[in-house]
Amino acid sequence: MQTNIPSASSVLLSLLRADFITQWRNRRAVMMSFIIPMTILLSWKALVEKFGGPFVLSNSLTLGLTTIGMMGYSNSIARDRDKGIFQRLRVAPLSTWAIMVSRLAVQSVIITAMIIIVFVSGFYFDKIELKPLGYLLGFFTAFMGGTVFLSLGQAIVGLIKNAETVSSTSRLVYTAFILVGMLGELNVFPAYLNQMIKWSPYGTVVHILGSGMQPVNWNQQSSLALLATMGYAVIFTTGGIKWFSWDSR
Amino acid sequence: MEDPSKEPVLQVQGLNVYYESFHAVRDVSLEVMPGEIFGLLGPNGAGKTSTLSAVEGLLKPESGHISIAGYDIKDKPLYARASMGVQLQATSFQPELFVGEIIRLYAGIYGVDMPQDKLDGILSDIKMEGAVAKRFGQLSGGQQQRVSLIIAMIHNPRLVLLDEPTSGLDPQSRRKLWEKMESMRDSNHGILLTTHSMEEAESVCDRVGIMDHGQIITIDSPQALIETNRNNPEVISASRKGKITLEDVFIGLTGRTIRS
Repeated sequence: MQTNIPSASSVLLSLLRADFITQWRNRRAVMMSFIIPMTILLSWKALVEKFGGPFVLSNSLTLGLTTIGMMGYSNSIARDRDKGIFQRLRVAPLSTWAIMVSRLAVQSVIITAMIIIVFVSGFYFDKIELKPLGYLLGFFTAFMGGTVFLSLGQAIVGLIKNAETVSSTSRLVYTAFILVGMLGELNVFPAYLNQMIKWSPYGTVVHILGSGMQPVNWNQQSSLALLATMGYAVIFTTGGIKWFSWDSR
Repeated sequence: MEDPSKEPVLQVQGLNVYYESFHAVRDVSLEVMPGEIFGLLGPNGAGKTSTLSAVEGLLKPESGHISIAGYDIKDKPLYARASMGVQLQATSFQPELFVGEIIRLYAGIYGVDMPQDKLDGILSDIKMEGAVAKRFGQLSGGQQQRVSLIIAMIHNPRLVLLDEPTSGLDPQSRRKLWEKMESMRDSNHGILLTTHSMEEAESVCDRVGIMDHGQIITIDSPQALIETNRNNPEVISASRKGKITLEDVFIGLTGRTIRS
């Protein structure tokens, strides 16, 4: 009996196929990642003239990214860990990075789809048109934002082992982010609180998205917000990897 | 060069596993030979699953040496894992995937070609022709076990680890699984099996190791264990029908106290 080690690419392809099928069969949950930013995009149509198209687009995108990272990713990882799906994969001849790369690749596709849907809908429904560089930087900054929320989701799954508690915690953090973040954008809080919100993960992502879509407005504050976003991503990723356990017991 | 069919497919030497300060597995050593079914028995919390998890690479032992088909699990983890097939206690596959998709996923992971006719043949062999487009969660317990075993064997591994494979199965499904294990043994696979069923251990195992408090307290064939302990007063007092069984030996050696 010969020991056969499959190539990393064929293993990854098999994982990707299974993860995409799983995601497709859960498409109702994925639709939420599209519906929520679309709702903001359509309901904030009146704000386009007042605050500008990038303001509405950046808030819609940030909301979509938060939904994907906090509600979709963290809960799917917690559920699969709880069901022992990761343990079953880990006894097979594959590296643990392959399992995670496959999961993150699926999330990247969802993020890409969400960005495209928001940009296209913004153009058709809210008449928001950006310059090509604005779309390009919007894409880049949206991916940066997606990294922050995916890594935050990873940190939550790392800190909490129980799938139910992960679900309730991520809902709580998600709601807090949306409420505080969106109200902060509308400047309804005292100045010191607005500053805190501005430099929160939600606030920095909205900021870099808004500035990225209007490259002429990119300033030192935008660069600092980008640095802060990258910092959050590094901190959450480090915590998420360090605390993560493949077994929920 | 040594004949690989004479070398152990699993070698565990001086294995120690700790959970923080709790010493769960204490200096465990055992071997499984090709063409042998080895049963690991023990009360709840005896250290069976921890031993199995260390062999599977799911937990890191404090000390000890494990090799699978000659591959050290520390030095050649991928080769070691590719040489074993595993059926975990919980049947843990993505509930959204169909049976055919799960089999294809693991075939891909183990580098095995799985064209449609081969897949149909595999499912036909286990009398599950219509299950290819069924979700795993829709199958009965017996069908789930059969699919799990198919996946454990998909790459024709030299060592198969079965963690309580017959728990929750009806007698017909259990007998079928025993026959499958025996045919695997006949084709020179080594099998390490954990079970709470002494009837199962007595029926299919060539040798059993009884574990308690993290240690292996005895290893021998079921019949030899019965013969050796026939006059042990603890075993005699555990006997219910006058005839000494493996269960009596097990109770006699591990005690009557219920473990948590």
